[in-house]
Amino acid sequence: MPLNITLTDYGVGNLYSIRRSLENCGAEVTVVRDMKEVLDAECVVFPGVGAFDKTMEKLQPYREDIREKLLSGTPALGICIGMQIMYNSSAEGTTPGLGVFDGDVVPLVGKVIPHMGWNQVVSDDPLMDGVGDRNFYFAHSFRGNPSEDITIGTTEYEGTEIPTFFRKANTYGTQFHPEKSSTSGMAVLRNFISFAESVL
Amino acid sequence: MLTKRIIPCLDVKDGKVVKGINFKGLRDVGYPPELAAAYEKQGADEITFLDITASLETRQTMLDIVSETAGKLFVPLTVGGGIRSVSDMRDALNAGADKVSVNSAAVKDPSIISECAESFGRQCVVVAIDGKRVDDHWEVFTHGGTKPTGIDAVEWAKKAEDLGAGEILLTSMDADGVKTGYDIPLTAAVADEVSIPVIASGGCGSKEHIYDVFAQTNASAALAASIFHYNECTVGEVKEYLRDRGIVVR
Repeated sequence: MPLNITLTDYGVGNLYSIRRSLENCGAEVTVVRDMKEVLDAECVVFPGVGAFDKTMEKLQPYREDIREKLLSGTPALGICIGMQIMYNSSAEGTTPGLGVFDGDVVPLVGKVIPHMGWNQVVSDDPLMDGVGDRNFYFAHSFRGNPSEDITIGTTEYEGTEIPTFFRKANTYGTQFHPEKSSTSGMAVLRNFISFAESVL
Repeated sequence: MLTKRIIPCLDVKDGKVVKGINFKGLRDVGYPPELAAAYEKQGADEITFLDITASLETRQTMLDIVSETAGKLFVPLTVGGGIRSVSDMRDALNAGADKVSVNSAAVKDPSIISECAESFGRQCVVVAIDGKRVDDHWEVFTHGGTKPTGIDAVEWAKKAEDLGAGEILLTSMDADGVKTGYDIPLTAAVADEVSIPVIASGGCGSKEHIYDVFAQTNASAALAASIFHYNECTVGEVKEYLRDRGIVVR
């Protein structure tokens, strides 16, 4: 039986690439618009489209239950905004996040913002096993700012190291977009699927 | 370290790529979804589709092409040409584009930039600017470079940034199609004035030209069409050339 991944559709932006990527990597994908269905998921992927408040809007009613579910070990992956909503709050919005990761989301500081394009992630997490040059596609103006030890990968941007890869319980978060990162991204997603299968 | 991006651009007309294509090993050499996937394999960092017909009749054809491409492309896809409203932009994003570029419509009504940025996030709003040297400055031209606007290109880029653009796609009308290199002074002037990424476009005839624009300006990316379409060099060859000369690429 292939892993069944519940993919959350907040109603903003397209899910083509992430859906197709996960399917190419061997998972079965169920797209849900009613966020209540997240509570029955075997494994959840929170895609990275839209803005913080809009993304949280539909999740808000189930916030406590989703948090509980992820902290008790359901494998999950949050991508970009889907990662940022794991934090308690964001400078981009006023809605509280899921609060799975302790900390907040802060504006990225630099001469050129957004941080847009391909950049390297330095990490020794097993999800990076066999992942070529570890260059991934980024497109963001905010970043996670954890207040606990959950950073498993960092990226150098304009001379500063920023945390870009996180893990707590079985929830992974990436600031980069694996679904837009060609073969490197596919390798990470394949590793994530193997990981999720191993903890189920 | 953030790498410099190489972006092949496909001019699409009635669902086909129009600039001459000389690609080996493809079933249908003019078919955008296959070409986009072939460029990804070569190492392209992103792909841009420019709908050069952009009429109401062909709009759906373009959206179909975009969704087919999005299902097989795993690098970002930007779509431009004929985007006139927030709803046009939504259609393109829903079809599978990651970013949408807006040109003439933004000059006519700049509020479209802020509306799109608020609705979809600034990272997917690309403002395309066609600049042409007039006396001692560069002027913005619209409608495929046919209509002068009297607006200064550098000022317009700054305004677009303030309104919420996530990126500037800067094309030099003087250099476009001539293949004598990017417009270095224009690219440098805009890239020094804005703090969002600038994509240099127009004039690329060789890998040396791509090196020049990265070595001499703060451009974040270089867009090119014919050198790739005519198989003059592959994206991989351009990157190797740049890497050998100290430009950081993927």
